[in-house]
Amino acid sequence: MKKNRYLLVLVALLALALTAVGCGGSKETPKAADGDTIKIGFLGGLTGGHAHYGIETLKGMQMAVDDINSAGGVNGKKLEIVQGDHGSNSSEAANVTQKLITQKVSAIVGDPTTGITKSAAQICQPAKVVLLSAGAVGPGVVEIGDYIYRDTLLDAVAAPAVTSYLSEELKWKKVALVTTTGLSYSEGLTSIFKPALAKYGMEIVAEQSIMEKDTNFSAQVTALSQKQFDGVVFTGYYTEGALFMKEMRKQGLNQVMAGGDGLLGKELYELGENAVQGSMVYAGFAVDTQNAAGKTKEFIEKYRAKNNNALPDMFPAQGYDAVMLLADAMRAADSSDPTVFKDKLAQTKDWQGVTGTITFDEKREPIKSPVYLQEVKGQAFVVKAVIPITQ
Amino acid sequence: MEAVVNVLTNPYYIQVVTMMGIFLIAALGLHVITGVTGQFSFGHAAFLSIGAYCSALMTIHLHTPFILNMLAGGLMAALWGVLLGFPSLRLTGDYLGITTLGFGEIVRVVFINMKITGGAGGLGGIPRETNIVIVYIVVALTIWGLYRIQNSRFGRALAAIREDEIAAESMGINPLLYKIKGFALGTFFAGISGSLFAHMMQYLNPADFGFARSFEILNYVVLGGLGSIPGAILGTAVLSLAPEFLRFVQEYRMLIYGALMVLMMIFRPHGLLGGIDFARLYKKIKNKRKSVENKNTESI
Amino acid sequence: MFWQQFLQQFWQQLVNGVTLGSTYALIALGYTMVYGIIQLINFAHGEVYMIGAFTGLILVTVYKVNFMVAILAAMLVCVPLAILIERVAYRPLRRSTRLAPLISALGVSIFLQTLVTLIKGGPNPLAFPQVIQDTVYVLGPVRFSTVQVIILVMASLLMVFLQFTVKYTRIGKAMRATSEDYETASLMGINVNRVVSFTFAVGAALAGAGGVLVGMYFNSIHPFMGVTVGLKSFCAAVLGGIGSIPGAMLGGIFLGIAEVMGVAAGFDTYKEAIAFGLLILVLLFKPTGLLGLPIQRKV
Repeated sequence: MKKNRYLLVLVALLALALTAVGCGGSKETPKAADGDTIKIGFLGGLTGGHAHYGIETLKGMQMAVDDINSAGGVNGKKLEIVQGDHGSNSSEAANVTQKLITQKVSAIVGDPTTGITKSAAQICQPAKVVLLSAGAVGPGVVEIGDYIYRDTLLDAVAAPAVTSYLSEELKWKKVALVTTTGLSYSEGLTSIFKPALAKYGMEIVAEQSIMEKDTNFSAQVTALSQKQFDGVVFTGYYTEGALFMKEMRKQGLNQVMAGGDGLLGKELYELGENAVQGSMVYAGFAVDTQNAAGKTKEFIEKYRAKNNNALPDMFPAQGYDAVMLLADAMRAADSSDPTVFKDKLAQTKDWQGVTGTITFDEKREPIKSPVYLQEVKGQAFVVKAVIPITQ
Repeated sequence: MEAVVNVLTNPYYIQVVTMMGIFLIAALGLHVITGVTGQFSFGHAAFLSIGAYCSALMTIHLHTPFILNMLAGGLMAALWGVLLGFPSLRLTGDYLGITTLGFGEIVRVVFINMKITGGAGGLGGIPRETNIVIVYIVVALTIWGLYRIQNSRFGRALAAIREDEIAAESMGINPLLYKIKGFALGTFFAGISGSLFAHMMQYLNPADFGFARSFEILNYVVLGGLGSIPGAILGTAVLSLAPEFLRFVQEYRMLIYGALMVLMMIFRPHGLLGGIDFARLYKKIKNKRKSVENKNTESI
Repeated sequence: MFWQQFLQQFWQQLVNGVTLGSTYALIALGYTMVYGIIQLINFAHGEVYMIGAFTGLILVTVYKVNFMVAILAAMLVCVPLAILIERVAYRPLRRSTRLAPLISALGVSIFLQTLVTLIKGGPNPLAFPQVIQDTVYVLGPVRFSTVQVIILVMASLLMVFLQFTVKYTRIGKAMRATSEDYETASLMGINVNRVVSFTFAVGAALAGAGGVLVGMYFNSIHPFMGVTVGLKSFCAAVLGGIGSIPGAMLGGIFLGIAEVMGVAAGFDTYKEAIAFGLLILVLLFKPTGLLGLPIQRKV
């Protein structure tokens, strides 16, 4: 009996060691010689809590790479994606980033979340590899160094534009502001909305905070029910947003909410059902079936053809634009050496992508136009207004 | 030869091995608390975060030398260890475990709410001071120090408390005092580990120090073998490298990990090297060799 | 004016707190009974609750059954699951060190979370559909929703039933005897293994029901929902005095009220810490919890 047990342990350990060795072996196989392809790293969660962002971003990147390669590649070389899955865990992300760099990528299209982008940026900057985040919106990202970029619609650009729309077109005067504490995205967005609301003469009559992954908002909503207001400005993610609105309807409050792209996801109306009808979400990309044209229309059609007719959200679009932006910078510099093409990337001005136009300002922050304000109608987001950004 | 040099200079391997060293220091700290003294601590990550934030803030705002900040991080963690230990080490077993778990969660929530730590947005802009050499010097010092302590009067007193608290008390050992001292020592190493982590990652986020991290470190110690320094080393090495090797199975990784934890406990409840220290490990190998030699001579 | 508003809020929050608390209580009972008998923190109990919720979801969305049927079915799924977990992961370790079953429990917990994530295809929360027409009843200053009423009624019924089982049935008597003294009980001819299995089964049934009720109440479930709720419910069990069945109920409801009131009082950002803060306070002043018996130091 005792012997048997030891044997079992031994077998288990051996199995583990073998898989480890087997994997270690396959990792060393050299890919095509460095000269033939330009490698672009993908850093994101294909598993774990933010898997949806990662999977969709990667889909968009792959589409861009296919388009570029079928058109002859960049500077006579083909593009190739090297995947790095960090399981949505930030200390593992550091290891994965380092691994991508040792695999000699020219650039990494980075994580859609701000926190992980920041820790990856600390590694990319000294290693002189371009990190272009397709999604990070929080503060303090590009400040890390001149190899760090992002191609997202910044809340600092979008939130004031949306606020002016709420005030001037929808005539909102009083709002309740709901923040998800413990979530840097939400806290950052709230700090942008506050001065914007003040600027357009809107009064914040109640402020409530909730926690991420929380499902019970009865206390916060009960507190709101004592106040008069025209709408809710909600700065958190869709899960909490949907449940918050449900709780409001349960307690007899009928206001709609407006919020950032954290609310954007089919989960919002799947979870929120009737409670979120009419709620508004802004984003840097939306499928405007009536008015989409040019590159955007082409992208949507291609995505639908590949994904069972599903409509793309902003993650594949941002992933697509990120690869295209990098490719154009490499063409302009006639080099895939990050120390060379990063300067061309910084000079990007009025660049046309599928998500709109992108300009990097003198701080290398993206200014994107337009902002798509969408409304939940039935089981879909419908574009309500396209708000241009004037620089 | 060239292959060996390549492996040794590969920044990815260096990164992974450095991280392993950092977590090893934390695991050795927990080894003192759980392995040697026999006290449950489910909140070890909290002490890591206290050390990490303390040293990072000193580096950023006071510009004091790194060695000093690292020691300060360790001492700050130990201070909180004592503050928590005084009231709670009177509790036993699971009660102590759950109190430390609660403390860990409270610390995380406090860091999320503090302004100076950057709240939920995290703390960036920490210069990189940690490197593989520093980490392994600290690891060597920790192992040497712990080895000396374990074989001292103090270490034997801690072990006596683990084996039988009442018997130890009747031998003139004040269990509470010794338990607090042991707890302080363990949390000190957690703080040092946190400081190294902060200056390695250059970015801190309270989410990195939740109870999942605490249980991960506990796993290193328990699966490696409770009460054994080689066990803690082996446990940390296997479990912290496993995710890197198992990356190819991606989503099945945690499934395997969970199942492995159960199987390990059933077939080897004392961990891989439970209760074995260096001296015994050496003896065991020597004895084995001897018995093999004996057998050989017999057969001749 | 202020006072009136305050009172209205107070009663409403109290109702919300008791509703939330009774779900904690349902789960806390599982922890407390198991701990009472084999002194194990069953960390996988939260996952049993999660699987109960998913079973309920599948039944109401795919098979379109009545919510009462879904609750019963969830209980029926959780019972064999918990017995299996006990058999595989805890029973071989009953005479082992104190830490071994804890680590094993954590392993089971990670395993089940990942398994459900894999089957479901991602960690995103799923919407729990509205299974009953949710009307709001106004009673004085307080609004009750149908779901709240169902939760309160179901939780009370289950707890009364449990109390009855433990007090007046043969197996209940055996449970109490085993929890009093495991060794002596087995010497007296009680089949302790059966008692332990039964205890796990009862705890799992309550957790399964709790899972479906929570799904109906908050309309959202995800594979990691058992982690924090499990830990908090364990806190509730310790608060009330671990090993004590009325203690778990009291602790759960106390914790629910404290959390809701804490949020209402403006400590919303510290919500996750409220349960643990309370726990530490209670442990420091009355280490055995509100209704717990004094710990005996055996020499």
